[in-house]
Amino acid sequence: MRTTLLTAAAVGFALTLANAPARAHHAFAAEFDVNKPLKLTGALVKWEMVNPHSWFHVDVKGPDGKVSTWKIEGGSPNQLIRMGVTKQTVPIGTELIIDAYQAKDGTTKAVGRDFVLPDGKRLFLGGSAANVGVPPAGK
Amino acid sequence: MKRHVAVSGVVAVVLSAGLTLVAQTQTQKPYAAPKTADGQPDISGFWSSNTYVPLERPNNVTKEFYTPDEAEAAIKRAAERDAEQTEPGTTADVHYDFTQFGLDRSQSVYSRSLRTSLIVDPPTGKMPPVTAEGQKRAQDRAAARKAAGGQYDRVENMPIGSRCIIMGGSGPPLMNAGYNSNYHIVQSKDSVMILTEMIHDVRIIPLDNRPAPPPSVRQWMGVSRGRWEGNTLVVETTNFNGKNPFRGASENLKVIERFTRDAPDRINYTFTIEDPSTWERPWTAEAPLTRTVGPIFEFACHESNYGVANILAGARADEKRAAEAAAKKTGSN
Repeated sequence: MRTTLLTAAAVGFALTLANAPARAHHAFAAEFDVNKPLKLTGALVKWEMVNPHSWFHVDVKGPDGKVSTWKIEGGSPNQLIRMGVTKQTVPIGTELIIDAYQAKDGTTKAVGRDFVLPDGKRLFLGGSAANVGVPPAGK
Repeated sequence: MKRHVAVSGVVAVVLSAGLTLVAQTQTQKPYAAPKTADGQPDISGFWSSNTYVPLERPNNVTKEFYTPDEAEAAIKRAAERDAEQTEPGTTADVHYDFTQFGLDRSQSVYSRSLRTSLIVDPPTGKMPPVTAEGQKRAQDRAAARKAAGGQYDRVENMPIGSRCIIMGGSGPPLMNAGYNSNYHIVQSKDSVMILTEMIHDVRIIPLDNRPAPPPSVRQWMGVSRGRWEGNTLVVETTNFNGKNPFRGASENLKVIERFTRDAPDRINYTFTIEDPSTWERPWTAEAPLTRTVGPIFEFACHESNYGVANILAGARADEKRAAEAAAKKTGSN
């Protein structure tokens, strides 16, 4: 199992707080550092299916060969369950490639912007699950 | 932007289905909601307050209703804004992808409407002017926040939602929370319960004409009293604690909600806001609830709210870095 940790170069940006989703439970840019984008690859070792946000624990091997466990903050499990994303459909051991931003405090925590499987497919269904929660007609 | 196209395609299908429903409703006899065993109109079940219609009419819009094409375009624009965070390297991107995690509105049911604003009164589609007292209160609240220090100086300064005390959507009034905007309504002869998914906030609304408690009793979601007027459940809520002011309201806010099931999959939900010390006149919005499927999952927010500690730790790390940079600059001078 080959795992890698890539630290992407910091990207110049303009502060666009006004565009941040106002409905988010909290301001993610306060918790995570926009100047520390990461690409993490590793196997899921634990999934804390908790609210308000899931935490995916992933074992990531660094450039020095040392493995560290990263905790990746993700979506509310309530919606994930509705979309069919459960501990059964995403079992422990699943290989994940995650675009992330590291925590500001410098620890091995990050917010997972995208989760991609090794074959290139997105872990979550996105727009194709648009009818989740739509009740059957009638009644 | 393939994803945008996909989302808007889905939106178009859903919207046109909704418009068909509206057209049929207009040509058929009025819908009669089924009755509960107690003879009340049945509004029980699982409902969502999701909508793309903004509370207030956009500044560049002057009419009450869009054409179907305009409504579709407005929803498409809103759906694209939900996906905006996918621009890497921007502050807005520091988040999990709503469109992937199923948290954006296009992936749930939402009410279909040609309205340009939820507010139906005043006819401008906007909240009425704020009174002088309301303006002063807003200034005082802003000054108090400033005096308390930075938002991430201490946990008490953080927003109420971030601290899992109460989140958008709980109401009253019931408003689109952005995600998990789901409710479970349970009826009995003498009371109605409304469970809000976000932080599982519950209102148990007695229907037995008991009076509201004295003004000394104050609650986050106020105290609600309900009654049936024909086929409409009317709920009046007072006794707010003023710590989660709806749109700048005072603790003397009174919310009057009306629930009328006017289609199998719809409750025509309206609310009127009365707070003479804040607004020059009452105002009313129409924010229909759309039937969805259960169950409502637990949303135990506080127990796993690691974000609070992480945010405070991040703020301290930022301060340390800033202090070190300042010291370095001083040393080099």
